[in-house]
Amino acid sequence: MAKMRKRMVALSAVAAMTAAVLAACGGGSDNPPSGGSTGDGEASAKGGTLQYLQHFPFESTDPQRIYYGVELANFRRTLYRSLVAFPFDNDPDVANTPVPDLATDTGTSTEGGKVWSFTLKDGIKWEDGSDITCEDFKYGASRAFADDVLTGGAGFYIKGYLDIPADPKGGSMYKGPYRGDGQELFDKAVTCDGKTITYNFNKPWPDFPLSVASLMATDPYKESIDKGDRSKWVVMSNGPYKVDGGTWDVNKGATFVRNENYDPATDSPDLLRQANPDQINYELYTAPEPILDRLVADAGDDKNAVTAARIPPAYFSQIEGPVADRTATVESPYTNYLVPNQKTLTDPKVRQALAIATNVDGYIKAEGGEKAGVPAESIINPGLPGYTEQEMFSGSNEGDPDAAKALLEEAGVDLPYPIKYTYGQSETQDKTAAILKEGWEKAGFQVTLDPLADTYYDVINQPDKDSDVVWAGWGADWPSAMTVLPPLFDSRQNFATDANGNVTNLGQDYGYYQSDEFESLVDQAATAPDIDTQNDLLTQADTVLANDVAYIPLDTSTFYWLYGSGITNFMTDAASSSYPDLGPIGVTQ
Amino acid sequence: MTVTPANQLEERTPDPKGAGPTAITSNSPTALAFARFRKDKKSWVALVVVVVYISAGIAAPFLVMFGVLDPQTANQDLLNANTLPAGDFWGISWTHPLGVEPGVGRDVLSRIWLGITYSLAVSLAAAFIAVFVGVALGIIAGFAGGWTDAIIGRVIDLVLAFPQTLLLLAAAPVGLAILTEQLHVPDGALAQGMFVVLVLGLFGWTGTARLIRGQVLSLREREFVDAARLFGASRRRIWFKELLPNLWAPVLVTFTLYMPAFISAEAALAYLGVSVRPPTPTLGNVLKDSIQYASGDFLYFFAPAFMIALIVVSFNLLGDGLRDALDPKGDR
Repeated sequence: MAKMRKRMVALSAVAAMTAAVLAACGGGSDNPPSGGSTGDGEASAKGGTLQYLQHFPFESTDPQRIYYGVELANFRRTLYRSLVAFPFDNDPDVANTPVPDLATDTGTSTEGGKVWSFTLKDGIKWEDGSDITCEDFKYGASRAFADDVLTGGAGFYIKGYLDIPADPKGGSMYKGPYRGDGQELFDKAVTCDGKTITYNFNKPWPDFPLSVASLMATDPYKESIDKGDRSKWVVMSNGPYKVDGGTWDVNKGATFVRNENYDPATDSPDLLRQANPDQINYELYTAPEPILDRLVADAGDDKNAVTAARIPPAYFSQIEGPVADRTATVESPYTNYLVPNQKTLTDPKVRQALAIATNVDGYIKAEGGEKAGVPAESIINPGLPGYTEQEMFSGSNEGDPDAAKALLEEAGVDLPYPIKYTYGQSETQDKTAAILKEGWEKAGFQVTLDPLADTYYDVINQPDKDSDVVWAGWGADWPSAMTVLPPLFDSRQNFATDANGNVTNLGQDYGYYQSDEFESLVDQAATAPDIDTQNDLLTQADTVLANDVAYIPLDTSTFYWLYGSGITNFMTDAASSSYPDLGPIGVTQ
Repeated sequence: MTVTPANQLEERTPDPKGAGPTAITSNSPTALAFARFRKDKKSWVALVVVVVYISAGIAAPFLVMFGVLDPQTANQDLLNANTLPAGDFWGISWTHPLGVEPGVGRDVLSRIWLGITYSLAVSLAAAFIAVFVGVALGIIAGFAGGWTDAIIGRVIDLVLAFPQTLLLLAAAPVGLAILTEQLHVPDGALAQGMFVVLVLGLFGWTGTARLIRGQVLSLREREFVDAARLFGASRRRIWFKELLPNLWAPVLVTFTLYMPAFISAEAALAYLGVSVRPPTPTLGNVLKDSIQYASGDFLYFFAPAFMIALIVVSFNLLGDGLRDALDPKGDR
């Protein structure tokens, strides 16, 4: 179980960091939350103070630099509104459909999805009382191009889509608002006409509103307060709360108080933000254990506490009786998978044997059992459109060593067949590795385990690594498989090459996978006229991946939450990436 | 400790305090020390524990070879739905006397037992390096004096001033790369183990060097050394035949006190992820996982911590006992 524990104690955050860093938001689950959930958005009493116990520091509170799923979900409900947003709802179809937020509708597209326009509502204001203008939105989007100053975030999507020519020397011709080169190109790509903002893209982007709702790259930003990197922890809110003092403390958190310049009449409180507590206290820890100790004890103010720290297996035995009534188990948008190295495991039969021998049930048990994950049959999360159970992986989840051995013999390789399994070291991952190793060895592999510390992702993206299988985790950036398959397996957008055309870095295509068939399907999907056709093409592309064993799915992570007894309307839905949703939440006073 | 050269021992009147009731017989300092040690019950217990640990450590690899201990096989069927050991008393049984590991179900006793082997091997090797380097440099510095002494003294200061733990964490990847790529040590547990041994050894010798230097400074002015010099003894003879025999007591004591320090250092390093890595079950690796289970699986939490505490305390008591026996007038 990825514990999202901070680096220092464990050097084991790698597994957790995947989910947190790479996979941001969106996605959904087809299991409505069970356990302590109290249903859809019934109104809670206003007032009181919510304690939010957080077990790792955020990367920034600048909207254009946020990419942690939990931070996107929480800040969307409290501080940062955007053109459209996902409503809280237990039905993933509803929660995955954006509704208007700062805009009057969910956007209109022309030219087959290449041009998108939104009109802003009247009376929308920043926390300092000034109006949120179209120019603020435009300025926010321009900050995606200043990725040399504003590191992190998810601006690369809008940067890649906006119709601005590429610089032959690398990057875009527009160098961002701080350097200003190519400003006229950006002014043509994003235009303001009164309260209407128009985005011009270089290719169709049929699911652009989903990206707006999920990520914060297109959020408005007030140019007058922008100090570049020095604005990293500044919060200029436009939501129902503001940060007391205006800055977030990376090691301590902050206190959210009511924003008196927020007008609920411009919002849809019953869909997006009930904003029940008068105050939200963020408190930072470096590990989940002290948080869970407090939540189990449920004393004093902790009765009104929630956390994004999942319950680690060591605590399972304490979660019984009345404590168990305060829990929720929900399938998350995050999928864990293995990547066979196509350069070393060149024989498809060997890769198939590896997939068949993989003991997914044992893997899940080593993570913490059914409260830690459920078997996955595809890299596409079951909550996403385009998901289908891939035949290649649909067999027994315990692994079938005999069938795998037969395949290895058919392949005519010498047994035992040596392989090296590389994973990010943590106590949990050491256990799952032991289980995977045992299953593979029964099938005739000889496994060397290669646990890596902090440098994990810097090693597995190297083209000349000698690992045969690596571990990885991913969650969609918004509810579309377009944010799953191309970012992970399209060699054209992942590989970096040197002047001689040699591949120097694999990006996220850790297995050195290159397939013309897959890439042409992705191209067709990218330019598909509508979302349904796009999803069909992506399902086909996923089948190509599965048949090539470009990946071996392990499990969909399960989030197992514990919250205080005073919490009302506890919800974990697709809109909040299965984290506790701050939209409907309330506290007992 | 004795500073009397061996050839004068016979003539010397025994110290009545240490000689016991029959003051007539002449006892060697070794015999006197042994007599003192024999009366120290606490140290005897510590010695027994240490001997048991060392025998267990030597036996473990053979027990694994013959299948008596099995630190790797998973038994997930012995776990309950919370993936903790099923059954009462933390899942202990005849086949798994200390229960099984949560999540995977590997035998805890086997993992701890084999962990003792790894921990003792690492600390023993590191202690040998530390004592060897320390004694060699201590004798050279103490005997040569002058510039040599000054340079060695500054080197000691430099090593002591190094932020060891930080350096270890930062230098681990580099150190490992040098071992595997330049020196062609096979990647994996062996290289990681060698790295820890080298680092502990090469940073741990300073205490011994200072102690030995001090001893040598006083010894080299003694009459028997002067006599040897007058007879034209070579420097090597003076070092090995005149000085070293008078140094074995402090060397033995420091060696015994290095062991517990290195055992706990290894466990701490394993916790920080720079020692021998899993799946090799060192005591530190087992402990790192087990400390999460203080409430969930108490036996699994308690056993490895207790094993480390016991061996560390025993070695410390043994070292103290030896020092008391060999140097009754010495300060604690």
